[in-house]
Amino acid sequence: MRVVIADDEALLRDGLARLLEDAGFEVVGRCGDADALLRMVDARRPEVAVVDIRMPPNNTDDGLLAAQEIRRRHAQIGVLVLSHHLEAHYAMRLLEDVPERAGYLLKERVSDIAVLADALRRIGDGECVVDPTIVSRLVARKRARGPLEELTEREREVLALIAEGLSNTAIGERMYLSPKTIEAHISQIFMKLDLRPGTDQHRRVLAVLAYLRAS
Amino acid sequence: MVYRVVAWTVALAAAAVTVAVVRDEPANSLAGDSLLALTAEVAAGLLLVAAGLTARSPSGFRALLAACGVAWLIGEWNSPGAGAAFSAALVLYAAWPPLLAHAVLRHGERSLSRPAIALLAVAYADSVLVLGAGSAIFYDPVAQGCLDCPTNRLLVTAHPQAVHDLGRAGLLVAAAWSAAFVALVFARLARATSARRRVELPVLLPAAAAIALFGARALHGSERGFVSNDPTDHALLSAQVAALVLVAAGVAWARVRARRMRGRLARLVVDLGQSSPPGGLPDQLASAFGDPSLELLYARDDDPRWVDGDGRPAGLPHDPDRQVTRLRAGGRELAAVVHRPGLLEEPAMAAELADAARLALEHERLGAIRRAQLESLRASRGRVVATADAERRSLERDLHDGAQQRLATLAIAIRLARRQLASGYPRLDAELGAAEEGLRDALGELRELAHGLIPAVLAHEGLGPAVEALADRSPRLVVGELPGERFAAPVESAAYFVVAESLRRAGDGDVSVSARHQDGRLLLALAAADGIGGPITDLEDRVGAVGGTLTASAHDVRAEMPCGS
Repeated sequence: MRVVIADDEALLRDGLARLLEDAGFEVVGRCGDADALLRMVDARRPEVAVVDIRMPPNNTDDGLLAAQEIRRRHAQIGVLVLSHHLEAHYAMRLLEDVPERAGYLLKERVSDIAVLADALRRIGDGECVVDPTIVSRLVARKRARGPLEELTEREREVLALIAEGLSNTAIGERMYLSPKTIEAHISQIFMKLDLRPGTDQHRRVLAVLAYLRAS
Repeated sequence: MVYRVVAWTVALAAAAVTVAVVRDEPANSLAGDSLLALTAEVAAGLLLVAAGLTARSPSGFRALLAACGVAWLIGEWNSPGAGAAFSAALVLYAAWPPLLAHAVLRHGERSLSRPAIALLAVAYADSVLVLGAGSAIFYDPVAQGCLDCPTNRLLVTAHPQAVHDLGRAGLLVAAAWSAAFVALVFARLARATSARRRVELPVLLPAAAAIALFGARALHGSERGFVSNDPTDHALLSAQVAALVLVAAGVAWARVRARRMRGRLARLVVDLGQSSPPGGLPDQLASAFGDPSLELLYARDDDPRWVDGDGRPAGLPHDPDRQVTRLRAGGRELAAVVHRPGLLEEPAMAAELADAARLALEHERLGAIRRAQLESLRASRGRVVATADAERRSLERDLHDGAQQRLATLAIAIRLARRQLASGYPRLDAELGAAEEGLRDALGELRELAHGLIPAVLAHEGLGPAVEALADRSPRLVVGELPGERFAAPVESAAYFVVAESLRRAGDGDVSVSARHQDGRLLLALAAADGIGGPITDLEDRVGAVGGTLTASAHDVRAEMPCGS
């Protein structure tokens, strides 16, 4: 899989490139700011761009804006945003625009190459990825009593995995359950939360995230 | 007083002489044998004297206008019936137009412009030296056919051709300067502000008409070399009389206006004596003077800048349509009235106003100064908070861009090292794995530390997302309705600080928070099931620094702060 890496910290950029190459990825470009990233993506057409959220020129959310721009320009190129920010808000901003082929991971996860590689492959396959820490915090949030209280422990687990962007099959594998059982759980959850069980998996992620943040 | 008695004596004597001269030889006079024309002519002269002597204008104007009235009466004296005054009249018969021009140009102006000075010099020289004295020294009345005329005591040598030539030249020059004067008046009126024009128009316009008519008579007489009393002259003369009466009326009108202003001032004193609501002084002044645009600025004791009634610093305007009158009392400046031009023309009026409104002015001024001091205190508190926030933000950035990035790089480096390790070193690999794990924990802790300083999401995304992020971290924070829009950074920080600190000090139970934007204010409400302990002075300070208020009870904290539109 062809990837480009954008991070303003050169050592991190190079280390990450070596890790990814060792894991069988082809790193076709590295750069340190948002403008260079956009030019590089236009020129080299990678499958996924790995982007640090905070980059020059403004050092605020330039990486996130560049990722959204890439998704708008190239339907087939995925983006994985790496961030030190735990706020669900940033992940939502990324997914709201074009939910498929996009991912948001905490930066401390990148040394765990298995997690990184899995996220990149899922994005390459057209799925979306949300950091499990972010999702688990959202699910754990205290709420003025609402339908979430009525979910069983298992249903909550499934809900969290949906929010992380996993497909039904992947959820089944993760929980050692048959796809049929997973589907039953999901329809229960959607009924209890009064959400429309759309067929589009990306919209489903967004709906669940929005629900978790809103209530 | 003596000056007025003398002036009136001279004027009445001149009027008596004029009446006598005209009645003696009506055929040779300008007024003719019509009693009405004579009455009007004499009345115009006396009215000018009266207007001059009673006007509330600089003394230069008053003397000039009175002199013009007398000179107008002298215009009839170069006639056989004048007797001893005949010679004087030969010099002065055409002196009134320059005097009138001079007087009205001085009306309401302390000094004359250069073109005005040049014009008046030509006018005086032409009237008194060319038409007057210059002709007189060559004029022998008997030789030129006036057998009844008194002796010309100024005669040096009789020279009829010289008299004719000088008269002709003088009259042409008179016509020319009259036209120039009319142009000057219109230029001045065109340049004046509307308020100024209102004051000047009643005097300048009839004066311009009178001078224009004089110019017309001069042009009419220039062919024969002297002004006479043919039917055209009579018609022009009647119009001239009317114009002069209007000049006198215009001057009187200015006096009436000034008197009305004094009446208002007197009423104002009564009003202020009765009651003066705080901050109501500018309104009272505005209605007393009939100038709704009137403003009051106050002088500070400790600061050369002026402040308005709310204590905000304000500069004096540099605007031709606004005039500033400084009010002084007890030897120092109290306030400045900003008003339309011409409202407080006389310095005496400003002094009277300062006296009349002194107590009320002092009271309002002290109020304004107190508000200014409070405001500067609040602003300085705001700056202290803003500086602290800026430091927190810069620390957060340093942590993020420095330590967090380094640690992440280090974790990758360890992972790379582990990959190169041959499988024969299981213990070393396990230790490196533990180190990597430790780094990941450190990163998590650093992230929370950076977030606790001041969350980046607050600056980037606003209050709503920042409170949501707080709830992501602290599950017992129950978030209600939050405003979606952005506010000024100090307001957002203050509100966030109140939420975060209240949450930290609350007992173990749930804490609910909601905020809304209403009528330009951000209303924040927190309720803690187990109460909020500890002092809240720092929260009050924080909210006070953006001009808001904070109230707290055992279980509730409520804050409201201005947040713009």
